[in-house]
Amino acid sequence: MRSFRVMMTLFKRDFLYSLYSLGYYIALFASFVVSSFILKNFLDSIGEEDILVSAYPLNYPLYITLIIISLYLVILSGVSISREREQGTLEVLFYGPVTSGSFLWGKYLKDLCLGIVALGFTALYFGLVSVLTNIGFTVGLVKALVMGVFLLSCIVSFGLFISSLTGRIRSSVLTLVAVLGAFLAIQFAYNALLGFEKESLSVPLLYVRQAMSYVFRGISWISPFAYLSRGLDSVVLENPFLYATHIVYALVYSLIFVFLSVYVMTKRGVKA
Amino acid sequence: MIRRIAFSVLLGVSFVFGSLAFAQPPMREQLVYSLTSFNGSTYSKSFAPQSEDIIYFVANVNNIIVPRKTIVYYWPITRRYMAGFSTLNEGVPGQLEILQGGKVVATLREQKYVLYYPEGYWSEKAVMYLDEEADACYDKYKKAVDEFNKKLKAYYEAMQRYREELNRFFEEVRRRREAGETGPLNIPVPKEPSPPDFVEFYASEPASGFVVNLPPGHYELRIRLDDGTILEGSEKKLVVFTSRRRGGVGYEIIPGNRWTKRENCDDPSWIIHAVGKNELYFNPFTQEEYNELYHNKLQDPQNIGRIERWKWVHVDPVKNATVLLGRGKEILKAVTKAPYFVKQIPGPELGYEIVEYDEELKKKGYKPTFESFKVLLDPSLPKASYTIQAVAGENQAPLPESERTIQLLRKENSTYLYVLALLPIVVGIVVVLGRRAKIEA
Repeated sequence: MRSFRVMMTLFKRDFLYSLYSLGYYIALFASFVVSSFILKNFLDSIGEEDILVSAYPLNYPLYITLIIISLYLVILSGVSISREREQGTLEVLFYGPVTSGSFLWGKYLKDLCLGIVALGFTALYFGLVSVLTNIGFTVGLVKALVMGVFLLSCIVSFGLFISSLTGRIRSSVLTLVAVLGAFLAIQFAYNALLGFEKESLSVPLLYVRQAMSYVFRGISWISPFAYLSRGLDSVVLENPFLYATHIVYALVYSLIFVFLSVYVMTKRGVKA
Repeated sequence: MIRRIAFSVLLGVSFVFGSLAFAQPPMREQLVYSLTSFNGSTYSKSFAPQSEDIIYFVANVNNIIVPRKTIVYYWPITRRYMAGFSTLNEGVPGQLEILQGGKVVATLREQKYVLYYPEGYWSEKAVMYLDEEADACYDKYKKAVDEFNKKLKAYYEAMQRYREELNRFFEEVRRRREAGETGPLNIPVPKEPSPPDFVEFYASEPASGFVVNLPPGHYELRIRLDDGTILEGSEKKLVVFTSRRRGGVGYEIIPGNRWTKRENCDDPSWIIHAVGKNELYFNPFTQEEYNELYHNKLQDPQNIGRIERWKWVHVDPVKNATVLLGRGKEILKAVTKAPYFVKQIPGPELGYEIVEYDEELKKKGYKPTFESFKVLLDPSLPKASYTIQAVAGENQAPLPESERTIQLLRKENSTYLYVLALLPIVVGIVVVLGRRAKIEA
């Protein structure tokens, strides 16, 4: 009970601090600019007096928004953990009633709640896009937004785990950017290669695609972005069982990584 | 000395690679499997050379495997192995064993089969008949062809008689006119006989093969020869799969402004986004969704595909249906299927016009270019969401998974999207300034 109160106090402090800083809104702005760019290109690709058949056009901007927001939150948390560790604040806190568990769960909850607020902004932005251009704000998009909460949770918990492993701010940021960047690069590169038919790929690229396929399969249960992809795919498939299954997967994944983070921090201690 | 050796080695290597480059594609005798596979809609024929380890079949339907010894050569242009069945096509005696988890689950003997095409040789639909049914089916076809030939013979004889009667008729007319007869001659005009209709269905000649009909799963197969040994090179893996989604309706859409470049709206989640005036012709199909890799390999084991991707296969055109254009719960228009004719227009404009196929065109001997459900998206329609749904002709019951959304877009507003992106910045400034003011107060 005491740990819970401590966790809630830390959560409230961090949450309000982030909410009252302009950085959070700038990150949202950046993600919406990218979304606007994608949607404008989508609209421009349809000729006058013509049609374009596609899946939910707002799903891809949502995917990009989720990635940008979660990367921002993860790096913010990583930096804050490392800074508090470097400055000795963490050590002081841990002499009090703060434990690794309450500290990291507080961070996790803070990131998750900021993510939920960001998704609220995203829903509002998509709603306005829909009014302006008549791109459908569908039931599928609502489901994808709900799924987004769980997928954010995956990315945030994975980021916390990486942050708990590193000591200094620089190494924390570099490791986060390198690991998450590598996951994203593999996923994007593989998907881009998958988009080509056999005839349009040269033999070396075919081999690269095959190699990427193995790498992608290897990381598909570790990379939080793979969960993000699968989760959004389950929305498109309109399969409630698959949808529920992916929510459960995301929850299990988040729990595992938050517990691992707590374990690592307890083992490592709070000194830089 | 070392230089000389190095030079000789380089020369030798260049010679070897040079000769390889100019070599004819190697041809060698191979054991291959000739396949007649059900692809979700009909049967397709292919063969699995030694280079392919896995054969793919759809579950719970009859598929045919025939082991043959033939000449196989590599064709570098298409990057494929080709079989020279016309040069060598030798059967392999024995039984086909199917194993799962190392245990033999089925031992098959060759069976007789025919492919029956109910709508004729050129139609896509085919049904497989086995054993006695195969013989009966082929006999029925042969009987129908014999009857047609008899009718054709009778028709040629009737035509001969008709021509003679026609000559006599003209002769009589000429004779009586020359004799000074005026007015109506009252000579009966000979009637031209009509040719017999060709046999509407087709059945292939009976052939023998191993009939594989298995539930989904991973298997192995091999040929056990009559002497009890396993035929070398006959072992292959067998993947039997089923569709991921089935029972829905997909659409082929013919846009009026580019009728040869058709679009598919197969997945129920796909949306038709339209800008401006559009004349759309919808063709509904029942469909099933298969794994892309499995289905491509099923059609030809040398095809490649992506195991992560899925593809819709049109099974049958939906017959006796009506397509409804609606907005919300309101039905705006019920469209029935009609024939259309693509009329070519000389000149530099669009080049063609799609018109309704009418009696006049029929009299001129033209045939409809396509049959479809025409939906007109007029620019006067409010920019909103519309739906297209296929309903059964007899009871107007909606066909499963047949609803698609049509979004009429306001493309002209796309530039303002960047303004919307400023929303969080505006909120952020308000929050931060509000907080600062509160602290200062």
